[in-house]
Amino acid sequence: MIVEFWTWLRYFLLRKSRKELDDEVRFHLEQSIASKIDAGIPEAEARRLAMIEFGSLEATQEGCEQQRPGWWAGIAAQDFRYALRGCLRNPAFSIAAVLTLMLGIGSSAAVFTVVDRILFRPLPYGDSGRLVSVGLLAPIEPLEFMLGGSYYEWQDNQKPFVALTSEAGGEPCDLTEVNPVRLDCASVEYNFLQTLGVMPVVGRNFLPNEDRPNAPKVALISYALWRSRFHRDSSITGKVISIDGKATEVVGVLPENFEMPRLQAADVLVPECLDVAAQRRADPGRPLWAFARLKPGVTPEQAKAQLEPLFEYSLRLAPAPFRKEIHYTVRPLRDRQFHDVHRAAWILLGLVMAVLLIATANVAGLLTARRASRQREMAVRTALGASRFRLLQSAILESFILSATGALAGVLLASALLRVFVAMSPGGMPFLNSARIDGRVLIFALSICLLSTLSFGLIGGITRAQTNALTSRSASGLRRARLRQFLVTAQIAASLLLVAGGALLARSFWNLERQNLGINDENVLTATISLGQTAYPTAERQMAFFQQLQRNLRWGPGVDTVALSDSLPPGGYHHDQIYASLRVEGQPRFTSGTGGNVAWRWVTPEYFRTLNIPLIEGSGFTDDELASANRFVVLSRSLAERMFPGQSALGRQVHVATGAPEGQDPLYSVVGVVADVKNGGLAAGEEPEYYRLRRNRAEDWDPRAVVIVKSSLPAPTMERWMRRQVASLDPALPVEVGTLRERIAKLADQPRFEMLLVSYFAVTGLVMAMIGLYGVTAFLVEQRKPEVGVRMAFGASKGDIVRLVLASTMRMIVPGTVFGLALAFAVSQVLSSLLFQVGSHDSVTFCGSTILLIAVTVIASLIPAIDATRVDPIITLRVE
Amino acid sequence: MPTPTDLLQGTLDLLILQTVALEPMHGWGIALRIQQVSRDVLQIGQGSLYPALHRLEYKGWIKSEWANSENNRRAKFYKLTATGRKQLAAERDSWNRLSDAIGLVLDKTMEVSS
Repeated sequence: MIVEFWTWLRYFLLRKSRKELDDEVRFHLEQSIASKIDAGIPEAEARRLAMIEFGSLEATQEGCEQQRPGWWAGIAAQDFRYALRGCLRNPAFSIAAVLTLMLGIGSSAAVFTVVDRILFRPLPYGDSGRLVSVGLLAPIEPLEFMLGGSYYEWQDNQKPFVALTSEAGGEPCDLTEVNPVRLDCASVEYNFLQTLGVMPVVGRNFLPNEDRPNAPKVALISYALWRSRFHRDSSITGKVISIDGKATEVVGVLPENFEMPRLQAADVLVPECLDVAAQRRADPGRPLWAFARLKPGVTPEQAKAQLEPLFEYSLRLAPAPFRKEIHYTVRPLRDRQFHDVHRAAWILLGLVMAVLLIATANVAGLLTARRASRQREMAVRTALGASRFRLLQSAILESFILSATGALAGVLLASALLRVFVAMSPGGMPFLNSARIDGRVLIFALSICLLSTLSFGLIGGITRAQTNALTSRSASGLRRARLRQFLVTAQIAASLLLVAGGALLARSFWNLERQNLGINDENVLTATISLGQTAYPTAERQMAFFQQLQRNLRWGPGVDTVALSDSLPPGGYHHDQIYASLRVEGQPRFTSGTGGNVAWRWVTPEYFRTLNIPLIEGSGFTDDELASANRFVVLSRSLAERMFPGQSALGRQVHVATGAPEGQDPLYSVVGVVADVKNGGLAAGEEPEYYRLRRNRAEDWDPRAVVIVKSSLPAPTMERWMRRQVASLDPALPVEVGTLRERIAKLADQPRFEMLLVSYFAVTGLVMAMIGLYGVTAFLVEQRKPEVGVRMAFGASKGDIVRLVLASTMRMIVPGTVFGLALAFAVSQVLSSLLFQVGSHDSVTFCGSTILLIAVTVIASLIPAIDATRVDPIITLRVE
Repeated sequence: MPTPTDLLQGTLDLLILQTVALEPMHGWGIALRIQQVSRDVLQIGQGSLYPALHRLEYKGWIKSEWANSENNRRAKFYKLTATGRKQLAAERDSWNRLSDAIGLVLDKTMEVSS
């Protein structure tokens, strides 16, 4: 067996020399002749007879050669070389085909991977399809939430759920041990994990009696914390750790893939430990986020209908004027997680499917053009004795080279695109980081490759090469060209749609970046600090720290101004309260509904000067007020105009509801009015806003603050210096330092992502349309070459020929553009919610996109047009 | 167990192996020997002889080397290898079985017809 294999391998790799066989055959012939001469036949005749007897020398050689084990491989290699040469001989075609496949496979694979993580990613919960998010909707909070005042009523009386559970949000906490670290602690109800269908990998779940006020402290820790801090110590259960200085017993470890249903970070889970009886009496009670598991066969809609009476109960608790603004919802957990990404993901998937279809049409179009131009070559090969099988084989090989190159390039493009997508994806999608080009994508690319190989090869090879192609031109294929012309027209229309959409988003993004935010971010740095409960347990200690830091920074090198706030415009977190909770002294309360939201911040006097927010009225906060026992506010212009229409706000008094009993709301004096500042995010509208002064009183301070520094020194120097200043006060304190400009740029992540994504598809569509048009024009030119030759023979100039070709492509470009414009006008409405200060029918954008598209398509058809002018009339006439 | 058709196709291989089993021989000699021994019944066409020789060599059953022929010309001599000898024995067995079987069938039918 082994011997035979070695022999096989030896002959597979080495071929016997041809001369050896020649010598062998010559010896045979000589012997044959000699034997005939011996039999008395004359030499010449003997030679002739021997030759006849032996038969075809080539056939014997061929027969011997075919016995070689490596014969097939040799033939295949020969065909492969030939196919490769075929691809290289017509580089424009090959590049077009590879590019089409690359863009088609690459885009769809990358988008599929991203969308897969968003839409189809398995949630890390048991039977996650039955998990829903339940809650109230109110203008103050865009996503559903619950309130302690009615949550327990819902939990006791609900019918559609197996179980209803809640989490009470998370906050930073400190693991106060040898090496203290800042962690995220989330508090959950005892039945939280059980309802989600999650089992701790080590230890046990919370017990009902651990979720009571004053119960002994217990915690579940995340897998990541278990690994990094406790080195996967399996005896972790029962271990007592210190969280915010309190001894807490670890009862278990969460699974590695565990995530909170609202996707917030959580290193430690602790029981809510709410006083249920107190919550039931409270109004509105603690904000909670509720999740439930549907009973089998119950849909979210049915569940919502069954919860109607409970919603009525909650509504009765709300103040009468607000009731009409409160709604409730029951929706799949997945929908809550991706409430705004969802539609975008489907649109993306639609776009990519369109691109893939266009790619397929392109490939078919290119191929037919290719076949038309090679008809003569095929006929020659047939005439020289190539078998149909051999022709088919070489056609398939050639298309395999193109498809495989395209697929490989596509996979590379997909992984590059994916990296770009993930790097650019706006925050809140941490799980995207784990998106990878996986086996399914490779199988997808492979099947596209095989499919296109077969269709390329079969279309090119199976139609019998007509030998009459050698003598006359064939008119076949013209009819099929109509369909392709239609496809190209549709493609041009689709790319115009994409280009117009991309241009609209680009203009919108441009406006977004250049809009007036109402603040000046030049030379402004910020440091965000959140003090730990252990080191700074009281508001006095917190105030002392921040005021000391402010003093230290104030006299630093190049520092112009220093201010403290608890939040920053133009987007992100800030305090909100409803307009109805503000009351001008001596005037009745606002009663028609909530009146919408009013934003507010805690600030220090230098805040307005640091951010360059102009004072319109009054002097703003001064150092005198810092020491005062009275309270002061500065209003934004829009709030002042609303509260004091046509009057001066200065010196007026305002009651601000702060949760104190009715009638005892503290009174604030208005000491200034400032210009409006963008505060609802970059693209959203502005809310009226007011500022409370952080006085030298502990009641005005909390553990969180943003230090705002305006300085003339370069940002990197300042950043280092600020870090050092914070560290000199408390070396263990985490601090986030950066320029205000970076902070604002981060807010533009989502629109930038959307713009780039649509622009990418616009460019892809444009390239595809170019390729498609090129393919069809090249085909038509090939078909009309004899006609072109005749025309040239009769004196047509090169310009005439180019005009002739362009006229035929205009028949695709013009209707495509018109149709595309109409389509874009109709569809751009979809984008209007994403657009900022650009009409969805912006005429400049539409004109620009049309001109770009026409220019690009004309260039694509010029290549074959110029090719047509190289026709030699003599040759075409001879063929005719 | 090989099927009869395989065996018939492999008949030329069997004849060649059997012929070179006696002594190393060149192509011409093999063709001549088979023709003589079979009393001119079996005439091997060159078109199939050389491909068959090459095939057997590729399979490692025979080995070739250049040597001087009886009339002092350089010729390529084929000789049986060890594996070829085993193969020959196997092929002879199956051939015998086949011809015995065919013989049995033919005898039976002769009895019936007589």
